[in-house]
Amino acid sequence: MCSQRVGGVLVVLAVTVAGPARAIPAFARKYQTSCLTCHTVYPKLNPFGEAFRRNGYRFPGVDSDYIKTEQVALGQEANKKTFPKTVWPDWIPSSIPLSVGANGQAMVIPSKSSSAGEAGKSAEGSATHVTVQDLSAEAHLWAGAAFDDTITAWFELTFGGGGVDIEHAQLLFNDIVGPKHVFNIIVGHGFPNVTQYGPHSSYLADQMVTTVPVTAIYWGDSDPWTLVDNYTGAELNGVIAGRIDYAVGLNAGKIAHGLAPTDNFYGRVGFKIGGMRLDGEDSSGAPDPERPWAETALGIYGFAYQATSRFDTTAGAPVPSDTANTYGIGARGQLGSAELNVGWYTESHGHGTDTGGPVNSKVLFGELSYVIFPWMVPALRVETVWLTPQGASTVHDLHIQPGIAFLIRPNIKLVAVFDYESARGFPLTTAGPLTPGPQAYQGGASSWGPLQIAPLASGEPNRSEFESIGLYLAWAM
Amino acid sequence: MRPMLKLLTVAALGAAPAVLAADGTITGKVDVTPGKYLEETVVYLKGVKAPSGKGPESKSMDQKAMTFIPHVLVVSQGDTVKFLNHDNVVHNVYSPDNEGYNLGSFKQDEERSHKFQQEGAYTQLCSLHPEMLAYVFVAPGPYAAAVDKKGNFTIAHIPPGTYQLAVWNSHLKTPDKPVTVGSGETVTQNLALKR
Repeated sequence: MCSQRVGGVLVVLAVTVAGPARAIPAFARKYQTSCLTCHTVYPKLNPFGEAFRRNGYRFPGVDSDYIKTEQVALGQEANKKTFPKTVWPDWIPSSIPLSVGANGQAMVIPSKSSSAGEAGKSAEGSATHVTVQDLSAEAHLWAGAAFDDTITAWFELTFGGGGVDIEHAQLLFNDIVGPKHVFNIIVGHGFPNVTQYGPHSSYLADQMVTTVPVTAIYWGDSDPWTLVDNYTGAELNGVIAGRIDYAVGLNAGKIAHGLAPTDNFYGRVGFKIGGMRLDGEDSSGAPDPERPWAETALGIYGFAYQATSRFDTTAGAPVPSDTANTYGIGARGQLGSAELNVGWYTESHGHGTDTGGPVNSKVLFGELSYVIFPWMVPALRVETVWLTPQGASTVHDLHIQPGIAFLIRPNIKLVAVFDYESARGFPLTTAGPLTPGPQAYQGGASSWGPLQIAPLASGEPNRSEFESIGLYLAWAM
Repeated sequence: MRPMLKLLTVAALGAAPAVLAADGTITGKVDVTPGKYLEETVVYLKGVKAPSGKGPESKSMDQKAMTFIPHVLVVSQGDTVKFLNHDNVVHNVYSPDNEGYNLGSFKQDEERSHKFQQEGAYTQLCSLHPEMLAYVFVAPGPYAAAVDKKGNFTIAHIPPGTYQLAVWNSHLKTPDKPVTVGSGETVTQNLALKR
């Protein structure tokens, strides 16, 4: 392995390390309720928490009935009768609804058989066994609040990697017309709702959906488009009759320079049978009050997404733009405390490679978990990705990740994940800013840390290895 | 002495029916879910007017520290409420409810008044300070009471009879309850309100 290769690896890793787990203790304060009302091991949501998220961060029924912190009225309900002579009323919390938190990881990397260990050996002159340098990789500032019973806000600022990133800045206009929950609009910066459940629905990874940074892999795009990421745009979504949900939206996607047309579109539709309604209304509670997370239910959804990214060719991009068309399906089945999430999608890029050629990626992911105790959840996660550039053979990467998530306290968690990886071939590059040759590939959702990469040994296209044990620590308050 | 004794006896007998018809009391406690709306609750006898001979009264609602005091004022139909201003800022009082009114702006130590002719709740607002809120609840008669901070209420001086006990709350509701008050009797009636 050469140092240039390591450099290429780091380029890919730097742009694909996913955001951290998220939780909003501001909501715990607002409603004077425990994190466990909505979460199991946060940020994983229980059925009630999913309904709360889906409802635009509102309780079923009348949200303000449940708000226990003092609110400052900026007008009174009766002002609605005098509108337009008066301003439509709302309120603000008497204290700023902020939360803080941090997260990071320690990695145990075997000195033998691990490409990551070999990468460390090459770079540092000795094999890396344990690294704790990322134990406090990120810090977060969250805000979540309601302006009234229909308009809410969600905000997240992340500090890490030497920079600050606005991950969320959204206004949610709920119940804008018609029956409750059917028509809602989200505007601002945040995750498109391409899945039926929250993006952070994994016990072991940051996100449930495995993503593939295709343009980063092939030519070192520093800000690649991926299926699940934060974008600026607007979304119309809703829940119909408590059992059918949908979302359609547009966003700006990834634009490296100047102003460009907003032409990223997506849509999703799904349904849920059994268990709590998607909107949480008319719930008679969990079948077993000692296991409020448990239910017997099946949710299925499908989505389509067209995203056009625009690049700066003066900075080394091989083409001015790339359009990715993505189609996928997913499902969540829950039987009591056992839960299985699976998803599959195909993502076709028109100009994804270093030579501007098309490339197709297929992704299959799944996670099986069982809540033994509300503070201990073992899980098994599988992610597999196929990449097929036009005119070249398919490369394949598989991660198998058994692990266990612990709640040390309702707002402190520790997750241990064992990562086994098997790769068949590498994406190749012949042009662009990256060193020509096989490129490292980093699995999407398993990217808790910067050490999960495909085998790198030169001249060895197929390789399987015990890659790492990750110990992830997060807290929020 | 005999004529005097006879007179006293007759007087005592004459007074007996009045003792039998002594006023009664309804007391109780209101349970409210969610509890934060408790203080905006009034219990009253539905449709029961003031006894003949009882004229309209004048009550007052103050404005101090940019707050209406009390938060809920109970009056009878036909009563007048004087709105005071003991702040050193100008206030306004208006209500969009029922016939609606706007008493204009008035300075410290000035007052305005309004006669309430219709039953029901009148939201009291100040156009200069939109956060200010109070209620004037106009009961059909004097048989009404706002609950205290624990939800307790007492309606006194009720003539014996059977009534419908009703509750007004700014956000919640409960069905009316029939209640019979005997002469001199204190009836306990608890109530529960929800969405």
